[in-house]
Amino acid sequence: MDCALDIFFLEAVLNGLLLAGLLALLALGLNLVFGVIDVVWICYAELVMVGMYAIFHFHKVVGLPLPVAMALGILVVAVAGVILHAVVIRPVLDTPPINQLLVTGGVLFFLQAAATMAFGVEFKNIGVQLGSVSFADMYFSWNRILTFVVALAIVLVLWQFLRRTFVGTAIRAVSQDRQIMPLMGVDTRQIYLITSAIGGGLAGLAATLMVLQFDIYPQIGLQFGPLVFMICVLGGLGSMVGGFVAAFIIAQFITIGGSCFATEWGYAVAFLFFMVIIFIRPQGLFGGKV
Amino acid sequence: MLKLTTGALALGLAALLGAAGPAAAQKEIKIGVIYDLTGPFAAGGSKAAAVGTQIAIDMINEKGGVEGYKVVPVNADAQSKGDVAINEAERLLNDAKVDMLMGVFSSAHCVPMAAKVDAAKKFMWANVCVASAVFKDKNLKYVFRGQVHSDQFGEASCQFIADNAKSKLGMDVKDVRVAIIHEDGPYGAGVAKGNKEKCESLGMKIVHEEGYAATSTDLSALVTKLRRASPDVILHTGYNPDITLFLRQSKDAGLKWKALIGHGAGYGQIDKLMATFGKDADYIYNVDPVAAQLLDPKTLKPGLGDITAEMVKRYKAQTGASEVPPHASMGFNQSWYFFTDVLPRAIKTHGGIDPEALRKAALETDIPEGGTIQGYGVKFNPPGHPMAGQNARSSPVVMQYIGGETKIAWPTALKTIDPVLPLPKGHTYAR
Repeated sequence: MDCALDIFFLEAVLNGLLLAGLLALLALGLNLVFGVIDVVWICYAELVMVGMYAIFHFHKVVGLPLPVAMALGILVVAVAGVILHAVVIRPVLDTPPINQLLVTGGVLFFLQAAATMAFGVEFKNIGVQLGSVSFADMYFSWNRILTFVVALAIVLVLWQFLRRTFVGTAIRAVSQDRQIMPLMGVDTRQIYLITSAIGGGLAGLAATLMVLQFDIYPQIGLQFGPLVFMICVLGGLGSMVGGFVAAFIIAQFITIGGSCFATEWGYAVAFLFFMVIIFIRPQGLFGGKV
Repeated sequence: MLKLTTGALALGLAALLGAAGPAAAQKEIKIGVIYDLTGPFAAGGSKAAAVGTQIAIDMINEKGGVEGYKVVPVNADAQSKGDVAINEAERLLNDAKVDMLMGVFSSAHCVPMAAKVDAAKKFMWANVCVASAVFKDKNLKYVFRGQVHSDQFGEASCQFIADNAKSKLGMDVKDVRVAIIHEDGPYGAGVAKGNKEKCESLGMKIVHEEGYAATSTDLSALVTKLRRASPDVILHTGYNPDITLFLRQSKDAGLKWKALIGHGAGYGQIDKLMATFGKDADYIYNVDPVAAQLLDPKTLKPGLGDITAEMVKRYKAQTGASEVPPHASMGFNQSWYFFTDVLPRAIKTHGGIDPEALRKAALETDIPEGGTIQGYGVKFNPPGHPMAGQNARSSPVVMQYIGGETKIAWPTALKTIDPVLPLPKGHTYAR
């Protein structure tokens, strides 16, 4: 054990907070889609990968300025979310959950293979690094700080959107009762499409921040997908607040666990905590009763 | 006259067809070639090695094959997944009925595959994977590897530091603080074990040692611990994307060092490192079997320099790459001396290409130093040896990247530069 309560330990705790921002952002879209449509996009991390490739393409190949490429990247994934719902999800909406998992799992492998065919196996990156800030002998990446701020901001924006707009209210209403709302004149098909677009857009937003921190390659989704899915389940599938809290818990396990023991122990302890919680509360920390 | 001419043409055609008959019936050796053509390992060097192997096959077939046998590759993609690699090996041997297996990039694939192939008494020629665990105390009889093994990787970096501690770092060897970090598969763990044993035997201080998953999403905790341990030298063994993640997070976290020594895989891809990190990748060291084009052809057996030049020419033409990574040499070299040394002897002396003949021919291989394009010789440890099947004459070099070019820094007999050590002031990672 290597866990002295020194400045390095504090740095690990704060880095855990910043990592949580990224994980929370990734969990947000997945939870929104599940909460409203009741379908788990197992291929969610692959949509992020699509966004990363789109940004790379628009910036490095087409030559557009990075902010424009990022905006287009978000748009591409939002449209991909709509297509995913219209083409893949809608036909299996009323089938058992296992069918929905399998088709989105199929999309996962399709997107990986398509990315390999389209972009090759080489690791790509946009060559932008934002540097870091240091104080009191602690260092923090501007990428992670930016991600953290964006994650907080987008949660507030989404919260306001769902609370204060007509469409947001309709989305919340559909998420509470899918059967009754059509009788009240709400077009659930349209709500599902809008939710899918927002879910895709959130994946695109995550992609804009991840291209600043990670190389792009067809399997990057596998690096994050299982962790994000675990966070969503831990928080309570469909609970955006739960996902946010779970992201902070898991990130602290990873960084503090990794700091006190070996890096891999951080992940091991995080998964152990997940299993214990699921035994005690199968619905997750903030989920409704199963 | 017309009839005569037609008759003559018919005769000529028949003669031509007759001559073509034996060629059409040319004997074949079917080789199952397994590499990771997709997934993270592909860009980590596996694809480069696959191209190198294919170039060797092309060049051999253009010369008319080997003792009347045409080399027919049956390519398989292990997809950077261990289970796929094993399934493909079984498919190639049992369904495609190949005569032998060749290639294999990842040690994580190599360890179980070698044991399985050997148990089935089939022949396997490993080109790239390095883990000593493939052979150590396994007494394999049908698996051979000319490639350098992980213990040697681990030893080379420590010896390089020891050789330069006083003159370059101005430190006694016993004062050098070393951190060993590695991906936690057989490859990383194998090299790290070699690092630890050698560095400790030389009296260096191991201030931190840690393995991590190559697919880790975050290495900030590891970087923080390294800052706390404050090593002079970091010995790192990893694939991609973990290497780029480590370098990025180290930069962001202000981690500094006097030398960073990588051990193949992701560190062997200089063009990728330069593209990602630019000048920050300058002065990184990489332990690997040497990229053949870096050697002085005069130190090699006559004719090998031309072979290297042809390989480099074809590699650049096929891939568009400006730099030819060591993995291309590994894929080519191991295949080349198999086709030019082992296979002819199996056919001529041992009666064919069955596993028994190939095995006997491999055990008789005796190529002196300078006899392969990567400089080292080839002599396989015999059955009963703790490393039976491993080349006893293989050796790595320590290379350094300077201004986007690869230079040899160690051993002294081969070095092409005076190594830059410690990192010069002003470098991103310099203390």
